[in-house]
Amino acid sequence: MIHFLYFDPGLGAMIIQAIVAAVAGVILFSKNLMFKIKTFLGIAKQEDDVFDDIDVKDSDLESKSKSDITK
Amino acid sequence: MTSQNRHSSSFRDPSGFVFVNNDIIKRSISPLYFEQYNLLKSTGFFKKLQNAGLLIPHEELLASEEEIIIQPEQISFINYPYEWSFNQYKEAALLTLKIQKFALENGFSLKDASAFNVTFQKGKMIFIDTLSFDFYTENSPWRAYKQFISHFFGPLLLAKYNGLESLKLMNSFIDGVPIKMVSSMLPFKTRIHPFLYSNIHLLAKFEDKHNEDYKGESRSSNLSKKAQLNIIKGLYDFIKKMSLERSSEWGDYYDKTNYANDAFDQKATIIDNWINQLKAKTVIDIGGNDGTFVRKINQELKEALVCDIDYNAVDANHKYVKTNKETFMLPFVFDILNPSANIGFNNTERDSFLKRIKNYAPDATMALAVIHHMTLSGNIPFEMSAEFFSSFSKYLIIEFPKRNDSWVKRLLKTKGEFKAHFDFYNIGNFEANYSKYFEFIEKLAIDNSDRVMYFYKNKKN
Repeated sequence: MIHFLYFDPGLGAMIIQAIVAAVAGVILFSKNLMFKIKTFLGIAKQEDDVFDDIDVKDSDLESKSKSDITK
Repeated sequence: MTSQNRHSSSFRDPSGFVFVNNDIIKRSISPLYFEQYNLLKSTGFFKKLQNAGLLIPHEELLASEEEIIIQPEQISFINYPYEWSFNQYKEAALLTLKIQKFALENGFSLKDASAFNVTFQKGKMIFIDTLSFDFYTENSPWRAYKQFISHFFGPLLLAKYNGLESLKLMNSFIDGVPIKMVSSMLPFKTRIHPFLYSNIHLLAKFEDKHNEDYKGESRSSNLSKKAQLNIIKGLYDFIKKMSLERSSEWGDYYDKTNYANDAFDQKATIIDNWINQLKAKTVIDIGGNDGTFVRKINQELKEALVCDIDYNAVDANHKYVKTNKETFMLPFVFDILNPSANIGFNNTERDSFLKRIKNYAPDATMALAVIHHMTLSGNIPFEMSAEFFSSFSKYLIIEFPKRNDSWVKRLLKTKGEFKAHFDFYNIGNFEANYSKYFEFIEKLAIDNSDRVMYFYKNKKN
């Protein structure tokens, strides 16, 4: 750990994260549940978006030289 | 090799600093950061992020006991948070969160979340601060959380609720927009939204309450990794879905310019021919809208900077770039009457637009449908606009709308009784003033319009 701080992380911000995380957890859980229900009922719609998913895909992590060979 | 010439923006992080050596940006790493750097390297963490196109690639030039020197892939034109459109800003925020999630999963954590750690390269946002990673300590909260809110989430929310111009606040608050200010500027309905309440309003309250606590970390807090991932995923989902309150319909701009189709095509052909004559590889289109005219150039360009004052036009351009996976186009927001200035400590931390564009020295500058706005809305005399363009352009392609053009008529009408003060706005004066700075090469009138295209060479080079 680099111990000395070169910017102020905010003591309040460090303490509040437990609350923020709990709220986010509830929202994520309920969204996930709604999505499952919608998928079950067949009303989930496909998102049309130019932005990626949060997860880095395994295929992206491979060395570029590999894809050069296969092209 | 000596790591002299420390870059003026690089002093905040003790892990190392950026320096310039023969016009090439390099990074010196201090022994303080060796342990982190070596593990980031040996575990393949850097490689993985670089392969995924999320982190700027670098090569190691030197490794001694005193310092390690790396050379990152060079970025030809850096653009800054206050020059991004709404969706560009979103992309930068999402990239930062995505990297933090990946880092956590691999035992690391972003030690800062500055919006200046990200910039546009080859059609997408890329993380450029290689030394931003530190070891993740079990059960410790994300120390860059507050910085993320004040650099990314706060400005995005202000843009959503108070207008896109709010994104320019980062120009004044280089350390991020204060959370208390964000909180005070958001509408009441955000207070009854649990996610916004906890991330903004409650955070503002906590910060206010604890900022007098000089004991510092006496009340150190614990947070599980799972909980931290909840914060990151929550922010990611929320930001990804964010759209503007009044999403203005953009796209009919060219219908409003009273161009006949053939005049539009003729203009595109003229530009294409001139760019071809120059064999230009790099261009900047000032007032380039959504990039329409640059995309009509048939030559292969290495890079095209397309800027406009209209946030929605830049956003539309950004969407084209993303959808068509273009790598040569760099859209950004730019106000020709007030280009980004030098800001930060000693006024040298972030370079002005003019300094960056002079270094970049594009082969050609396009200024289409701009001069009447500069002259008649901005009251900028021809001589001053000519001097401005000549300060960075080798060649200039400029369009002059004559007094009978409907836009010019409209702009003149707004001058009311002072209309006579603008009698100087005519083609003779324009040519006379531009000839002081530029060598005339060719001019072509666009048929069925009141517009003339000029092709100039800078007298200075």
